[in-house]
Amino acid sequence: MIVRKIAAQDWITKEMLLIFVILVTLPLWIEQIGLYRYLGVEIVIWMIYGLGFNLLLGYSGLPSFGHGAFFGIGAYAFGLFQLWFFENLWLAIVFAIFASFIAGAAVACFVSHRRGIYFALMTIAFGQIFWFIAIKWHSVTGGEDGLLNIPRAAADFGIFAFDLDSNTELFYFVFIVFVCIVLLLWRLVHSKFGKVLQAIRQNEERARFIGYNVWLFKWVAFTLSAAIAGLAGVLFSMAQQGAYPDVMALHASGIIVMMTLIGGGFVSFWGPVIGVTIYFLARDVLGIITEAWLLWFGLVFVLTVLFKPEGVAGAWQEWRKSRTSTVSGYQTLLQFLSTKKR
Amino acid sequence: MAPIFKASEVHKRFGDHVVLENINLQFKSDCLSGIMGPNGAGKTTCFNVLTGKYKPDRGRIEFQGEDITGLAPHEIARKGISRSFQTMNLFNEFTVLENILIALKEVREHGFDFMHLLARESEVAAKAEKILSLVGLSGKEYHRTSDLAYGDRRSLEIGVALAAEPSLLFLDEPTSGLGAKATTQLLDLIHRLKQKYTIVMIEHDMNFLFELADSISVIHWGQVIAYGTPDTLRDNKWVKQSMLGEGA
Amino acid sequence: MTVSHIFPHLLNGLSLGLLFALIALGFMLIVGVMELINLAHGSLFALGAYFALTIIDPSLSWFTAAEDSYTALPLIYRYGLALILAPLLVAVVGMGLELCMRRTYGKKAEYGLLLTFGAALVIEESIRLTWGPTERYLQVPEFMTGAMLFAGLIYSKYKLYAVVLSIITIFLVWLFLERSPYGAIIKAGAHDSEMVRALGINLTKLRLLVFGFGAGLAGFAGIVMTPIWGLRPHVGIDAVIPAFLIIVVGGIGSFWGAVIGGILVGLSVGITGAYASDWSLLSMYLLLIIVVTFRTRGLFGKKSILEN
Repeated sequence: MIVRKIAAQDWITKEMLLIFVILVTLPLWIEQIGLYRYLGVEIVIWMIYGLGFNLLLGYSGLPSFGHGAFFGIGAYAFGLFQLWFFENLWLAIVFAIFASFIAGAAVACFVSHRRGIYFALMTIAFGQIFWFIAIKWHSVTGGEDGLLNIPRAAADFGIFAFDLDSNTELFYFVFIVFVCIVLLLWRLVHSKFGKVLQAIRQNEERARFIGYNVWLFKWVAFTLSAAIAGLAGVLFSMAQQGAYPDVMALHASGIIVMMTLIGGGFVSFWGPVIGVTIYFLARDVLGIITEAWLLWFGLVFVLTVLFKPEGVAGAWQEWRKSRTSTVSGYQTLLQFLSTKKR
Repeated sequence: MAPIFKASEVHKRFGDHVVLENINLQFKSDCLSGIMGPNGAGKTTCFNVLTGKYKPDRGRIEFQGEDITGLAPHEIARKGISRSFQTMNLFNEFTVLENILIALKEVREHGFDFMHLLARESEVAAKAEKILSLVGLSGKEYHRTSDLAYGDRRSLEIGVALAAEPSLLFLDEPTSGLGAKATTQLLDLIHRLKQKYTIVMIEHDMNFLFELADSISVIHWGQVIAYGTPDTLRDNKWVKQSMLGEGA
Repeated sequence: MTVSHIFPHLLNGLSLGLLFALIALGFMLIVGVMELINLAHGSLFALGAYFALTIIDPSLSWFTAAEDSYTALPLIYRYGLALILAPLLVAVVGMGLELCMRRTYGKKAEYGLLLTFGAALVIEESIRLTWGPTERYLQVPEFMTGAMLFAGLIYSKYKLYAVVLSIITIFLVWLFLERSPYGAIIKAGAHDSEMVRALGINLTKLRLLVFGFGAGLAGFAGIVMTPIWGLRPHVGIDAVIPAFLIIVVGGIGSFWGAVIGGILVGLSVGITGAYASDWSLLSMYLLLIIVVTFRTRGLFGKKSILEN
């Protein structure tokens, strides 16, 4: 019985399919609702970033305020590889992921024995270091202007290749990466490793006393999350055909925390996906109405932290729960009435 | 017979405050050893030093003839020492079953398994089931831990410690906060555990300890001030005094 | 490089350090008593400067006549007024923030961090809306401007004035912590809120006042620093980062930790500035990482619940 119940969490779920279907058809309808295709690219890139980030925040309980650094490193490394060596999409991607992986691994060595506030402060410091280097190391990073004219080579699959010139093509490329990341992460967070991370989040001390090397688990989670942020950075640098230091600033690192939290990363795998959507819609829809959209977004965030840290996903879960419990309450009432009659 | 666990001349201080001074303890295999003493005597600190939470400033700790002094808690746990906590230390957002599963040896050894789901294997699930029925939590597998009643949480606390199949089990005040009925149930449980496990137990409920223990060490002012079987200790003036102290 | 070469950089670093310490003071008080990392510190810092800007030159066009006669007053009076009034206004904003914070007490410390981050964003955006996104300049009385010669080197008079002001403020805060009963409570709170409660002190009120005081100090530091750093809506980030670095280096809950941490950070920035001016700010991050790697609680820190 136990086995059956747990086996329900498998490779693919209904929610997952729903999101895939919405996204795969997105280029068909996004312009109809008054938005533009590039927004879809951006949203999906940030969803990948957020899902990877939530491995840390939501699943391991580690609030990193410097994650933009790894996003940025991915973006720069992708560009630099092609500018220095040669234009090849796959090699550049591998190189960039490797670069953010190494950077993540190095930072993780310093932060993995910490948690809570000290963890956050250390990640701020490391994030600022990378951001600072990106701004000051003109000869490599192009300073505040960033790295421009990064080539976007065709995606060559050996037997066939497709250009990524238009936003639609780029969107489907990013979407395929998204699908892979979702499948992998979904499996990962429900695997034994994922459960251990959640155990560490809930009670680090107990996890240690039942024999888990907590430091190593945190190190792996941080490094993985950094590598995924790097991948998202690669996609962003493909989309922008450039890499800029802004994405590495504390501000940007804080925004990904906010998106993940508002969406409900603490209680749901899909929290970051929801949060990213809300953020970009706020930016583009609210942004038309008022210049102060970020102020409103900030206020929503503050209210979320104050009243509903479980975010949108948490509110949704609660609503569904309350609905099912009223239904069962209704059924009990019916039962009660029918027994009375007899 | 050589003791399974031996602590010799263990010292621990926090700043200027000496908490443990020259502690010598020996626990025999297949026995239940008790540790008692008034509040603030250093019992829990003693457990914390023995199980690796704090490193002792001096002294040597041996387990199955191996020096484990200064090892990290997870390393000590992996050698076969499990412990429960006085203030409950559970994975509150997990279900009861998940709490046990995560502590199982089979799961622990595959902690870095990124692919396979927790307890997909039926023998692992069966094992967790067995532990739950042992501690009397059958039927509550899918309850969220934070929703459990106090007594059930206490039982789960022991269950999590048992899940790692320890060669030595440390229990830190398992009766703490329990009512009379729950205490009797727990007595029964520990009687059963005694057949299978080597246990060390901190307890301030004297009758409880005297009923169960094969030998008892009394800790006061950070020192072991008396040691013996329950019968020899019953008339010990220190024990009487600390009993009075507890009653007051 | 000889001593005479390094000397001006040392002096520069020291003065920068004292200014950093001034910036960190309010941060130190709040983190010490409330065990809360106030990421809105930088925004409150900026807010102080913007309030001062408006107090010195209102141009609200509400009561034109009154305004005209007010702006006709000599700058020094208006500046003095700003120096007192603006921090008070910031303190009020801070107290409002504290009222919001109350819901997070007793929860994990990260919630405070998240909340103040959000608050920082909200304050910064409000500043952008109210005062515009462009760079602004805070007028200062004439006697503070210009340059002066000392030991054959040119110094800005304003910097000297700012350093003196920051030394005075550090001294006053120290006096307050040492001599006043409130200071005793705050120091007790800094180490043990259990004890504060046992003493029968109203912790709710204490927190409100401390947050107000800390915010006011942030605003004051903002007014002092603005003529040196310039004034933009996001200038706060330049203040909050050194502040938290200094507190972590100096140790949470320690007054002298904050002062010495500030001076250390200033010196490291000043000295690296002598060799590689582009990279001078990097040294403060490296300082943090080195100190915290070897001394978990910073130089003078005591155990804090923030570690859990």
